[in-house]
Amino acid sequence: KKMTNDNLNKLLVFCVLFCAQKTSIVHGAQALETKVTLLLHAEPENPKCFAEGMSDLTCFWEEDEERAGFTDQYSFIYTYQNENSSECSITALPAAGGKRLYFCRLSQTQLFVPLDIRVFRDDLLIHNRSLFIELVFLLDPPANLTLTSTGTQGQLKASWLPPSLKYMGDSMMYEVSYTMAGSHIGKVEEVQASSELILRGLQSGTKYKVRIRVKLDGISYSGYWSTWTDPVLMETMPGDLDPLIVSLSLIISLVLTLLSLLVLMSHRRFLLKKIWPIIPTPESKFQGLFKVYGGDFQEWLGHSTGGLWLRPAYFYSEEFPAPLEVLSEVSLGPALPSSALPPKASETLGEEDEDEKLKRVDSALMERWRETPQEHWPMDQLRAIHQHPAPWTQSSLLESHDAYVTLNAQNHSGEEPLDDILEETLPLQVLFASGRTSSESRSDLGSFQQSSGLGRLSSQSSFEYPNHTWPPKGPGYTYMAVADSGVSMDYSPMSSSKIDDIGKGVIYTNEYKNEIPAHRRPIGTPIHFAF
Amino acid sequence: MSSISGLVAVLLTVLQWAGRGLPSPVRPICDPRVLDRFIMEARDTETALRGCKAGCGVTGTFVVPLTNVDFVVLETKDTEEQALEVQSGLFLFGQALGAVRESVSRAAVKSLIDNNKSNIHSLGQVLRSLHIKDLSLSPAPAVGDSATRKVSSLSELLRVHTNFLRGKVRLLLTNAPACQQNST
Repeated sequence: KKMTNDNLNKLLVFCVLFCAQKTSIVHGAQALETKVTLLLHAEPENPKCFAEGMSDLTCFWEEDEERAGFTDQYSFIYTYQNENSSECSITALPAAGGKRLYFCRLSQTQLFVPLDIRVFRDDLLIHNRSLFIELVFLLDPPANLTLTSTGTQGQLKASWLPPSLKYMGDSMMYEVSYTMAGSHIGKVEEVQASSELILRGLQSGTKYKVRIRVKLDGISYSGYWSTWTDPVLMETMPGDLDPLIVSLSLIISLVLTLLSLLVLMSHRRFLLKKIWPIIPTPESKFQGLFKVYGGDFQEWLGHSTGGLWLRPAYFYSEEFPAPLEVLSEVSLGPALPSSALPPKASETLGEEDEDEKLKRVDSALMERWRETPQEHWPMDQLRAIHQHPAPWTQSSLLESHDAYVTLNAQNHSGEEPLDDILEETLPLQVLFASGRTSSESRSDLGSFQQSSGLGRLSSQSSFEYPNHTWPPKGPGYTYMAVADSGVSMDYSPMSSSKIDDIGKGVIYTNEYKNEIPAHRRPIGTPIHFAF
Repeated sequence: MSSISGLVAVLLTVLQWAGRGLPSPVRPICDPRVLDRFIMEARDTETALRGCKAGCGVTGTFVVPLTNVDFVVLETKDTEEQALEVQSGLFLFGQALGAVRESVSRAAVKSLIDNNKSNIHSLGQVLRSLHIKDLSLSPAPAVGDSATRKVSSLSELLRVHTNFLRGKVRLLLTNAPACQQNST
């Protein structure tokens, strides 16, 4: 049993070794195949020989299969200088393309001395070559090629394991080839007697493919370039911003930010108005309207001390302006200026004082009255006109329901200026209403005679003559006709025929403005316009 | 008088002794590029004089050392043995090149030969820096005839010279203990 165990153990060990050897053999065979292929291209002479280590030499030659002979037909004779010849045993191996390779391998060699090789086939010299073995090295490619980052931008460090030849380490020359992954254009760098190399000038954040091959430098030893190693891939460090550029750009952006802030601050109000406009309020126009009266406009108006220029039509809508026609008598005497028509006084009923009503009587009228101190001349005119009823009655004036009030300036003694009388003491009642019945109006109306002071002014209402029997008194006179259509008032200056007879008298028409008398306006208060 | 002459004699002896025992350079020259330059110059000389007609007028035979190196055998040799081989060989080459210089007439050839001779002398200095005894100057033959052979042409001589430098000399310098300590 013990014997069996021992045998089994031996068998097991043998098997392991055999397997290991087989692997190495296979591996070696593959390496040999590549070297043979390489030399077939690189070496023109025959036999092709190469040394792999310090004490070996492998020679081979190629022959076509059809012309190939048996191995024993060939003899490989080699002779070192000053020594006797020796023979090498030949082995044959099939090759691709219908070829046959014959190998001779020497395991002990002498360097730095010429070696003569002669190959005979059936005693016929087929190959002859003299070489130095130290000049035909074909090494295995370097092992363990690794790429690492150096910590610097655009750099990679390649390191490898040199072929293990004792005396030749400092004679080895390496060629490192690096290309960008996917590119066919690559760069090559040579390095001598080193086992690492830093690749510079690489692009950041790019994958690179690196490979290496070895050769002896050619001074003491020489040979062929080895095969390339399998490529190794590695990505370079990602690109980093140049600190100078970063700092400069930061400074510039800071400066620009400050400038923009300054501009914004200087145009702050303008921008605010544009972005956030103020909602307008009417408070500035109506002082105290919102604060004091709480928006009650009626109350505010009543207590308002500010002068407001308002058109009465807006605010006194219930009361319609009624025109007042003031008729003045035109005398037939010479140098009679045409009667100046008293301006119509549109007055509001009720609320205004009587004192104001005659304020608008034209001063020209007063002058004229001074000049023509005739009595009853308006009525006389009217009577005269009435005597000629045709023009008169055709007048649209009398056909309408308008009433007329005549002013009779009576002669008086004394030189008191009439203007005093007129301005202050001669109120005039406005008694018109369109559309009223005559009876109604009569009750409302009344002729009145007022005389105060020195002068006397008599007035007569047209309603006293209901049947259009308005007697024209005196000479012709001018008057302003009013046509009240209920919607609008139409004023037109007219003149009686008498005046026409007298001559062409200029009819003065005076502009009448609805104005609140100046005295009612307190001094200093500005007039506000409603909007 | 005798005292003065005695003093002079003593002084001369002392100086001679001092002069003989020249201190070797402090730093060992381990840079292989030094020898590489010598090798390249020897090769250039060999190439330049290969086409020389009629051997550039050089006749006679020269004793040259053997250049072959068997690494397996080399492993068994120690540094001193190697050093002995190298130095005797360098001596022989010095002798041969000196004789060649006498025979050649062309100035260009003479300058090349002179260059190689100076290189051999420099090699002796390098060996001394490595604490290897310089025996090149001494006329004593360190090795026997088995380590030599005869050549009859200038081109052969120069070829052997190149091979010797490339092989044995270089290996000696590479394996020098002084350099082994410095190298990592």
